[in-house]
Amino acid sequence: MIEGNGTKPQGAEDDQRTGAAHLSRAGLLTRSFAVLGALAGSAIGAAELAAAPGSQLSPARDREILTLGLLIERLQAAFYAEALKAGRLTGEMQQFASEVGGQEQEHVAYLAAAVGPSAGKSPGFRFGDATTDPSKFLATAVSLEETGLAVYNGQGVNLTPEALAAAARVVSVEARHAAWARALAGDVPAPVAVDVPITVSQAKSAFAPYLT
Amino acid sequence: MPKSNPPSLRLSDFDLDGAVRETFARLPHETRSGFLRRAAGAGSVVAGAAALRPTTAAASATAGDFSILNFALALEYLQASFYTEAQRIGALHGALAQQADVVGGHERAHVKAFKSLLGSAAIKEPSFNFHGVTENPDAFRSTAVAFEDLAVAAYKQQAPLIQSRAYLAGALAIHSVEARHAAWIRRLAGFLPAANAFDDPLSDSKVIDIVNSTHFVTLQTPDTSAQTSPGFTG
Repeated sequence: MIEGNGTKPQGAEDDQRTGAAHLSRAGLLTRSFAVLGALAGSAIGAAELAAAPGSQLSPARDREILTLGLLIERLQAAFYAEALKAGRLTGEMQQFASEVGGQEQEHVAYLAAAVGPSAGKSPGFRFGDATTDPSKFLATAVSLEETGLAVYNGQGVNLTPEALAAAARVVSVEARHAAWARALAGDVPAPVAVDVPITVSQAKSAFAPYLT
Repeated sequence: MPKSNPPSLRLSDFDLDGAVRETFARLPHETRSGFLRRAAGAGSVVAGAAALRPTTAAASATAGDFSILNFALALEYLQASFYTEAQRIGALHGALAQQADVVGGHERAHVKAFKSLLGSAAIKEPSFNFHGVTENPDAFRSTAVAFEDLAVAAYKQQAPLIQSRAYLAGALAIHSVEARHAAWIRRLAGFLPAANAFDDPLSDSKVIDIVNSTHFVTLQTPDTSAQTSPGFTG
């Protein structure tokens, strides 16, 4: 975990920039976007997410992002709990739901604590036959894990370093879940060299059908 | 069905030849001391506020960022070389061979990306000797599990220290791919792909210590005449 106190002495940024002064900021950004874009096929998305002009990192913004994370975790935890309760899963798929479901519940507690009193109660969810039909379960698991991961990745740049360090402990576990679900579905667990982020509105659209 | 957690995933358990060898400490660029100084710089800022990402959105790259990117490049060199050698030797078959093909391609893409971003500041690729682990499917699997879990922990530690939002976005997008790689190879090795609800970070000095203990980095490139300790002789 980050141990800094969150304040930045005046001038520290300028001091650190000195070593890189021979490279222009604009040039670096252009090059990095080009590299990301070439790898992920999403130069526009990466640029949109990384630029966010005028936005400030702040504890309030952290809370907003972690609240979205909490919704994702609540949704996933409810999905696995319902599937396990339905009892139609067998073998490694059942094991996946059990292991991952337990971890999502831990993520819910972790993020609820991070968000504080405004965390409130979980909304209701509806999953239809995705928790009773094993093939639909697996497709939905892949979708929920991939969507959650992609929006976490997109919002990482908008978190303060302390909140990013806290969230990162969860994010790579979500990536493991996504890879595991894909493997069970017979897909390549890691389809691209650089994961492509999505925006908050894209994530909300993806999750909307599950909210009652 | 994956049933167990491996007793240990530390690369330090793969002490294959017993040789006392420095590894990342022998990275060639500006000699070892230069790399370590920069790596230590990246780590020490954790304790202070000086390098925390500015609260403005337009944060730009810093010297510290280059240090972190070079550290990431070193890890990617190690992984890319490992998979490339395994592919070349051809001892892997089936799902394991597919994993090496796909993941090797990713690690080579990561190397290319970091080299491109760093330009002339990029560290040069050291020489590796994997002491046979690329020739044996079991040893390959164990080593790959250790490499991938290590990469996840290393990226997780460094990401919050990155000042540039563009670089941070890239690092995060690679961090989660390393976690996918870890889950993939863990499953093939019979371990739970996600064994814990939380993944913890690992400091750069600990990452370097672990890599050192493997003796996989064995030779320096010719521009590292400042080497003060004996070279690899095994």
